[in-house]
Amino acid sequence: MTIRKMLMASVAVACAAMPVSALADTADKKIALSNNYAGNSWRQAMLTSWEKVTGEAVTAGVVAAADPFTTAENQATEQAAQIQNMILQGYDAIVINAASPTALNGAVKEACDAGVTVVSFDGIVTEPCAWRIAVDFKEMGRSQVEYLSGKLPDGGNLLEIRGLAGVFVDDEISAGIHEGVAQFPQFKIAGSVHGDWAQDVAQKAVAGILPSLPEIVGVVTQGGDGYGAAQAIAATDREMPIIVMGNREDELKWWKEQKDANGYETMSVSIAPGVSTLAFWVAQQILDGKDVSKDLVVPFLRIDQDNLEENLANTQAGGVANVEYSQEDAIKVIEAAK
Amino acid sequence: MISFGRLAKKPWIWSWIAAFVVWFATIMVTGGASTLGLSQAALTFAAFSIIVGIGQMFVITLGPGNIDLSVPATMTLAGTVALKLMNVDNSMVVPGLLVAVLIGVAVGVGNYALIKALRIPPIIATLSMSFIVQSAAIWTNRGLRIKPPAVLADFTTSSTLGVPNVALVALGLSLIAWVLLEKSVYGRWISAIGQSMAAARMAGIPVDGARFVTYLFCAVLASVAGYLLACFSGGAALNMGAEYLLMSIAVVVIGGTAVAGGDSNVPGIWGASLFMFLVVSMLNTYGIGAGIRLIMTGLIIISVIMLAGGRRTGMR
Repeated sequence: MTIRKMLMASVAVACAAMPVSALADTADKKIALSNNYAGNSWRQAMLTSWEKVTGEAVTAGVVAAADPFTTAENQATEQAAQIQNMILQGYDAIVINAASPTALNGAVKEACDAGVTVVSFDGIVTEPCAWRIAVDFKEMGRSQVEYLSGKLPDGGNLLEIRGLAGVFVDDEISAGIHEGVAQFPQFKIAGSVHGDWAQDVAQKAVAGILPSLPEIVGVVTQGGDGYGAAQAIAATDREMPIIVMGNREDELKWWKEQKDANGYETMSVSIAPGVSTLAFWVAQQILDGKDVSKDLVVPFLRIDQDNLEENLANTQAGGVANVEYSQEDAIKVIEAAK
Repeated sequence: MISFGRLAKKPWIWSWIAAFVVWFATIMVTGGASTLGLSQAALTFAAFSIIVGIGQMFVITLGPGNIDLSVPATMTLAGTVALKLMNVDNSMVVPGLLVAVLIGVAVGVGNYALIKALRIPPIIATLSMSFIVQSAAIWTNRGLRIKPPAVLADFTTSSTLGVPNVALVALGLSLIAWVLLEKSVYGRWISAIGQSMAAARMAGIPVDGARFVTYLFCAVLASVAGYLLACFSGGAALNMGAEYLLMSIAVVVIGGTAVAGGDSNVPGIWGASLFMFLVVSMLNTYGIGAGIRLIMTGLIIISVIMLAGGRRTGMR
């Protein structure tokens, strides 16, 4: 018994002496990423960031493995089966971007019961035993209207481009936008279309509603749809309204072109796909025995007029403006939530 | 009156009536001010549905069980690879188009090889093909969005005499399809195969050859649509074809083509494609929420199909 106590004490001392040591207790731990979808540029960037950051972490010996898995069909049942496989394969932690906030709860509970740490991010799960790295989507919507109120004090008509109907994220961002409109009543939402977060769908939907709309001063978006809206509006003889962008490279590039040509001003806000790496480090910290609050919030990545060039230069062609998180960033987020 | 009576017997007339009613209801919101803008937008976006719809129509004509689910993946792969090859270079426009067509040919050959050689039902064969093709699209480009060459971007987004260029391309392809279907022996063959494959075989029709050409034609049209769509929307995206799976089937059915095969028509594809775009625009214009809008879209489509279908069974 005494030997064990001495061992534990020495471990405690070692931990206290090197709180962010790279070679922590997690060197033999295996972390898996369960991802439900890979078919757009955001998800591709998310997976690339994961491979880059976790690859370095594995080489450095922080964890033993960090393997990404993506389901083919974006189905909750398929992802639940995938999680069950991961439990059987003996992973110590599973990082999830979930197809559904509730449908995976059964599989997540099984994982928790098997002693696996589950960290969900972006597409979070509601099962209480899992950690959630959530995005404050409402604030993301509201901040757009707040920005427009600064640029256009007189207000006017807005066009709202929504995401995929029936998805939680779409309802949240839209609710935030409507909160913003209630807060700044000089604005009115004159029309609303679903752009499915895709440029071509947004372009089609906007082109269809545009002929019947009055003058539009601003377009509030959800990301991935700003460039399509710009294309649809440019095809008419309307004056270009302020289109809030969503950090996609094509959106930023278009903004830069307009800025150079006529001083066009807007802003861009979204979540960096590198949030997968934040989730990775949070899982590592939990495995390391850190006390982590179950609900964490991801910081937004916002681009403004003055840091547009810098962000555009850092964004891969066709990709999404991105930041990758480090262990220190994760510790900061964890501390902030306490 | 006689000509109207003859028109009313056409299976495609209902999609045209529906498109016109919806168009009229939409422009009335602004008292007619949106007429030109809406009509041009409708023609532009309908053009893509028309091109993929024609291909799907030929396949569906082949009879029960024949369908091509690889349309969206083919569009995506053709769009991404062609744009990557052209790499914003105006002189590469023709090679880009050729590569897109070649991809269509390859997918079509693959589809029919699975159906014929491995005896997989078309619905499964083309679905598994679509996984391979979609993965290839992800693998080639990782979601990168490369801009189209300026010449193509201008061509696809501008109009000639007020008619969008993409609609003119769709018109050209429709004319070819119409001649093939109504005036050529090939059109007779596929209608015969659709009505009874066994009878067609006994009548000495080259069933396998005709089916093979049809799947090839469908995949090539999908890849051409993908090429045009990628140029029109300023670059290919991995999810750019997603919408066109159900769309390609819906326009065929609403256009009055028999789902059981053997009886098709080209004009219906136009009416149905215009209708599908306009119905969404109308409901957006009236500011109806997403849930109700989707239900209404469903109900309207069902009513058009019932009108078109009900009419036809009465006729026969």
